[in-house]
Amino acid sequence: MTKLPPYLKKHDTIGIVCPAGSMPLSKIKNCITTLKSWGYQVKCGNTLGKKPVYFSGTDKERLEDFQQMLDDKNIRAILCARGGYGTSRIIDQINFSIFKKNPKWIIGYSDITVLHAHIFKNFQTASLHAPMAGAFNDDLKNNEYLESLANALKGKIFSYECDSHPLNRLGKAEGELIGGNLSILAHLIGSASDLNMHGKILFFEDVDEYIYQVDRMMVQLKRSKKLENLAGILIGGFTGTKDTTVPFGKTVLETIYEHIKEYHYPVCFDFPVSHSFRNITLKHGQFHRLEVGRKKVNLEEIVCT
Amino acid sequence: MERKKFIHFIALAGATFQFLPKRLDAKNQLKKSGFSDPAFHTPPYLKPGNTIGISAAAGYITQEEIQPALLEIQSWGLQIQCGSTIGTRYFTFAATDLERIKDLQSMLDDEKLQAIMCARGGYGLIRIIDQLDFTKFIQHPKWLIGFSDATVLLNHVFSNFGIASLHSKMCNSFPDNPSLADAVQTATIQSIRKALFGEKIAYDIPWNIHNKTGIAQGVLIGGNFKTMESLNESLSEMDVENALLFLEDTGEYLYSIDRMFWGLKRSGKLAKLKGLIIGGFKIKPDDPGEAFGKSIEEIVLEKTSEYHYPICFDFPVGHQKNNFAIKHGVIHSLEVTSIKATLIES
Repeated sequence: MTKLPPYLKKHDTIGIVCPAGSMPLSKIKNCITTLKSWGYQVKCGNTLGKKPVYFSGTDKERLEDFQQMLDDKNIRAILCARGGYGTSRIIDQINFSIFKKNPKWIIGYSDITVLHAHIFKNFQTASLHAPMAGAFNDDLKNNEYLESLANALKGKIFSYECDSHPLNRLGKAEGELIGGNLSILAHLIGSASDLNMHGKILFFEDVDEYIYQVDRMMVQLKRSKKLENLAGILIGGFTGTKDTTVPFGKTVLETIYEHIKEYHYPVCFDFPVSHSFRNITLKHGQFHRLEVGRKKVNLEEIVCT
Repeated sequence: MERKKFIHFIALAGATFQFLPKRLDAKNQLKKSGFSDPAFHTPPYLKPGNTIGISAAAGYITQEEIQPALLEIQSWGLQIQCGSTIGTRYFTFAATDLERIKDLQSMLDDEKLQAIMCARGGYGLIRIIDQLDFTKFIQHPKWLIGFSDATVLLNHVFSNFGIASLHSKMCNSFPDNPSLADAVQTATIQSIRKALFGEKIAYDIPWNIHNKTGIAQGVLIGGNFKTMESLNESLSEMDVENALLFLEDTGEYLYSIDRMFWGLKRSGKLAKLKGLIIGGFKIKPDDPGEAFGKSIEEIVLEKTSEYHYPICFDFPVGHQKNNFAIKHGVIHSLEVTSIKATLIES
């Protein structure tokens, strides 16, 4: 059974770190202010606001910052300010022994998929696939995506309904909800963070990929036997998808569908998880029920008592 | 052995003994079924009068574009059989999956062919590799020739059947006018002929200050890095046991190459190597403000600092002019000294 870290109470502290790419403090300010307006305290890690180099610090600095937040019992959640690239470089050096006893919510997406996959695979612990600091610079009013993060932190049971996409395959499924960035999921295959997808509801999204590369990653998932035993699949946004000069001949949705059409589990396209502002907070690793209907799609958390 | 049974066996083995390398089981199965020396099998070398089939198993190519290759290969005393995928096109592919399968399958099954050259790379072999039936190929192995996307084919036949192949330039790299070609171009094309006719591989590589010295013997395997990565945990996954691994790539960001090396390390593959050979890496320039700040050499040495095998940079293989033919799946020795590196077929 998936372990859920304790939900947050008023005045609890959220740590903010950059385990991968760097981000100036000016772009994190809104995030800090908003988290405080939600009633939390914020602790900024040393990796925030580093001068604009590729990584937010050396491997050692990023590792130490994350480790400190992980081991600090006063920190109830760790929000990764941004993705980029770099979590794979430090993941095997992170010591999870205190986290295992005192799990806390790890928040982020994109490169942070490495963390979600790793802690679910190794410690069966849930985490939050959710907007990061940049999203707090979007319009904050009636922003259901940020609201979904606030709700998740408070412990509200997740339930989401959206319109059904014409390409959807109808059906119902139950299973642990896992996934993240497609490129990262493919990159983790064969590593200690590689997810077993048997019986799971898989979600994925990606950004700035060529269609042929999406095709290759889907073939890779298929050939490594990750697609055949899923309970269901949620396909998020593929923002900034590129085509080669000579067209690949299929849209990205057609490309993805081609590789799952032989199976019978429910399929939902255009689920709001992506590198755009449409990025709903998902409890990675938690049990969910998916119902893909003709008109509506429902995804809801199953709380085990 | 029937492909279906073979696949079934693999599936069962995979389910029951998750940690047993699948291809080892495959090779043992082949041994039981009477296949001689399943560990390392070299197809018969070519003789004048033999025939090479040409198939476009991935990207499309015109009849005109393969003419220089045809003339050159014919001048070696070989005959050519052009596949149905030459001169046709289906978007970026030479033909639909089904048509590409049919073309390559008929060549794999054709006992009159002693080799098959992939006309070019591009993208497409991974889409069809599991639909190919290698039963007849195993009984009558022939040289499969290519690189880049053809990395799928090279690794598939070695990891599953222990059969050697030729990693080299393809039809689209033959100079239009051989008499005007420069020395390197000529030498790389001639290296294909020499390898196919059974000459042993022996290359000297100039010293690179980042090289790690040492001597190692192992099976030469490898190819295009991104393509190799896409084979992880599949039937075609690279067989790193006792391997001298060579890698090349093109059009990848440095961060992406760094991530692929982490993947190689985290899946335990780097630790198992006997030696590492780094070919050409044509880097996609960093986006503005996103300078990665590490060279290929630094990326490689960082991941391999705890291993003691020799590492050679600047090996003449890759998406570049000095892309020499090397025998994939054949035992070689790699010697890296403080003066130069040598790769010699054992």
